[in-house]
Amino acid sequence: MVDPLGILVVLIALGVIWTVGWAVIIARSGHPVPFETLEGSETRVRVSLLAGMVIVAIVLFFLTLRALPYEAARRAELGAPRVTVMATGTQWSWALSRKQIPMGVPVEFAVTSRDVNHDFAIYDPRGHVVAQTQAMPGYTNRLIYVFQTPGTYTVRCLEYCGLGHTAMTAALTVTRQ
Amino acid sequence: MDTAHVATAEAPGITPLLAPDRANGAVLRVGLAYLVAGLGSFLLMGVLGFFMRLDQSGIFVLSAQWFYRIMTLHGAGMVASILLAGLGGLAAAVSATTRLSARVLWIVLVIYMAGMTFTIFATLLGGFAAGWTVLYPLPTHGLVWSLAAALAMYVGYLFVALGLLLYAVHILVAVSRTYGGLGKALALRYLFSFGRDRRDPLPRPVELIAAVISIDSIAAVTAGTLYLVPIFLHAAGVMTVDALYAKDTVYIFGHTMANLSIYVTAGLVYAALPSFTKRAWPTTWAVVIAWDLIIILMLANFSHHIYADFAQPVGLQLLAEIGSYAVALPSFIVTIIGALALIYRSGLRWTVAPMLLALGIWGWVFGGLGAVLDSTIPVNQVMHNTMWVPAHFHTYYLLGAVAFAWGYFFYMVAELSGTRDLTLTRLAPWLYGIGGAGFIFMFFVAGAHSVPRRYAVHLAQWQIYARIAVPFVLVLALGLAGLAWDLMLRFRAAWRGTQHVVGS
Repeated sequence: MVDPLGILVVLIALGVIWTVGWAVIIARSGHPVPFETLEGSETRVRVSLLAGMVIVAIVLFFLTLRALPYEAARRAELGAPRVTVMATGTQWSWALSRKQIPMGVPVEFAVTSRDVNHDFAIYDPRGHVVAQTQAMPGYTNRLIYVFQTPGTYTVRCLEYCGLGHTAMTAALTVTRQ
Repeated sequence: MDTAHVATAEAPGITPLLAPDRANGAVLRVGLAYLVAGLGSFLLMGVLGFFMRLDQSGIFVLSAQWFYRIMTLHGAGMVASILLAGLGGLAAAVSATTRLSARVLWIVLVIYMAGMTFTIFATLLGGFAAGWTVLYPLPTHGLVWSLAAALAMYVGYLFVALGLLLYAVHILVAVSRTYGGLGKALALRYLFSFGRDRRDPLPRPVELIAAVISIDSIAAVTAGTLYLVPIFLHAAGVMTVDALYAKDTVYIFGHTMANLSIYVTAGLVYAALPSFTKRAWPTTWAVVIAWDLIIILMLANFSHHIYADFAQPVGLQLLAEIGSYAVALPSFIVTIIGALALIYRSGLRWTVAPMLLALGIWGWVFGGLGAVLDSTIPVNQVMHNTMWVPAHFHTYYLLGAVAFAWGYFFYMVAELSGTRDLTLTRLAPWLYGIGGAGFIFMFFVAGAHSVPRRYAVHLAQWQIYARIAVPFVLVLALGLAGLAWDLMLRFRAAWRGTQHVVGS
C-alpha cells in the first residue's frame, strides 16, 4: 500500500530538484550570447530529459500493474475474500452489513449507492486513507483489502454528495482472529 | 509612472502584437475585454475561495449550505474565468497575422458572460450546490435546491459551451483560411515528412496552438452535449441515465475545459516571451509534433478522475495512466524547456511580464508533478478526493495558467500603451509567488494527511493546514492587488493604443 506521506516526500524531492534547475536558468538570464550557440546543448538536454522521463514512466507503469486496486488483480494477489461486507451509501449515511472485521484476511466490500455518487473511503486509526472505491447508483464496486492492524477504522464519504456530505461516516472495528 | 516608450523594433522572426498592415486593433480591444472580464472574475472567485479556506481553518465558519454554494460557484467560475482570460490573450496574439472578426468575438463574450451570470444566479439565488462537476444524479437529487436551480446551472454551462464553440469554430476557420486548410494550419505535411517538406508556409506557434485548442474545445463541447442531452431527456421522463456514462462524459467535458485553460495560456508564452528575450521561437518540428499530439493526449486521460470507479473497464484506467504520463512529455520537453532556453543567457530585462511568465513556468511544472503522482493508480487509491487534488490543480492554475494570463496582460498593456510597469509593481510577482506557493503547499500537506476535499466542516486536527494557508493567501492577495492596480493605471492608454492601428 502506498503511504501518502511518502508521496509528499517524493513531491518535495522532485520539487526541490525542479526549483533549483529553474532558478539556475533564471539566475543566468544575463550575459547574453547568440541563441544559435545554445542549440546543440538545448537538443542534448531535451533528448536526455525525454529518455529519463520515458524510463521513469515505464517503471511507474509496471509498478502500477503490480498494485492495481481492482477486483481481479486483488483476487489474484490475495485469493478469494474470506469476509464480505455489503456497503450501501444513501444521502447521508452508510448501511454496512457488518462492522466487526477480522484482521489479516481478505475482506471484500461490495459497495453501491441508492441515490447519488458517494465514495467509500476507509481511514485507518491514524487517520490516513488506506483504500477507497466509489459507491455508484446502478453498480456494485468490489473493494478487497486486508487489514493488518487492529483498531477502529472510519469510513468517510469522499465524493461530494450534498449538504450532509461531511456527516456521512461509519465505524469498522478490526479485531485479531 | 515611467512613460518611456517600450514598443521597440522586434528582433528578426518575432511578430509584434500590433500588425502594421492589418486592422487588428479592434480584435486587440476584444482581447483586452476578455482579459479584464476573465481576470476580474478570477479575483472575485478568489475572494469566495478565501472564505472557503477561512471556514476550513475554523476562523470564520460558514453554514454548510453556503459553503457548498460558494464551492460550486468558485469552481465553475474559476474554470470559466481563467479560460476566458486565456482565450482573449490568444485571440489578440493570433490576430497579428490572422484576420479575426471582432464582432464574432464580442458576441462570444456576451454569450459566455450570460452563461456565467446564470451560474451566479443558480448558486447564490437558487441555492444550487452540486459542485462544479455537476456529477449526475446529484444536480437533480440535492434535496435542498430546486430543479429550476439545477436547470439554471445547466443553462449557464450551455451558454458557456456555446460561446466556446463559436470562438473555436471562428478561430479554426480563420487560421485554416490563412494557411490554406486545416491540415496546413496543423502543419501536417511538415510533421509527417519529419520536417523535410517545407513547401507550405508554417503557422506561427501561437496559431498552431490556437488550432489545436479549437479542435479540443469542439471535442469538449461535444462531450458536454452528450452529457446534457440525456439528462434533459431524463428530466422530461423520456429515458434513464447511466451513472457511469454521465460520469465519463462530464469528465471528458470538465477535464478538457480545465486543461484548455492551461494550454491556451501556454500559447501566450510562445507569443510574448520572444519579445523580452529578443529571440524568436520558431515553428520547429518539435513544436509541431508536441502540439499536434496534445490534440489527442488532452482528451485521452480524463479517465484518471475515475480510477476509483471500479466499474470502469480496467483497460481504460490503464490508458488514462499512460495518457497522463504521455501528456507531460510534449509540455515539458518542448514548451517548458523551450521557454527556459529562450530565457537562458538572453539578457532579458526582468519587468513584471517576464517575471510572471517565469513564475508560470515554475508553477505549471510543480503542479504537473503533483498531477502525475496522483495519476498513478496506486497513489490515487489513497489520494483521490483528498486535498491533494485541489493542491495540484490550484498549483498549475494559480501559479501556472493565471500567472501566464497576468503576464500576457502586462505584455499587452506595455506594448499598446507604450508605458513601463511601475517599479514598485515588480514586488508583486514575488508576493504572488511566495503567497501562492505557501497557499498551495498547505493543500499538498493536507492531502498527504488524507484531509478530504469538499468538506464544509473540518475536524479540529485538520484545521491547522488551512490556518497556515490563510496568511499566505493574504500575501498572495497583496501581490494580485498590486498587479491589478498597475494595470488599472495604464489600461486606458493601452485601450487608446489599439485605436492608432490603421483601419481599426
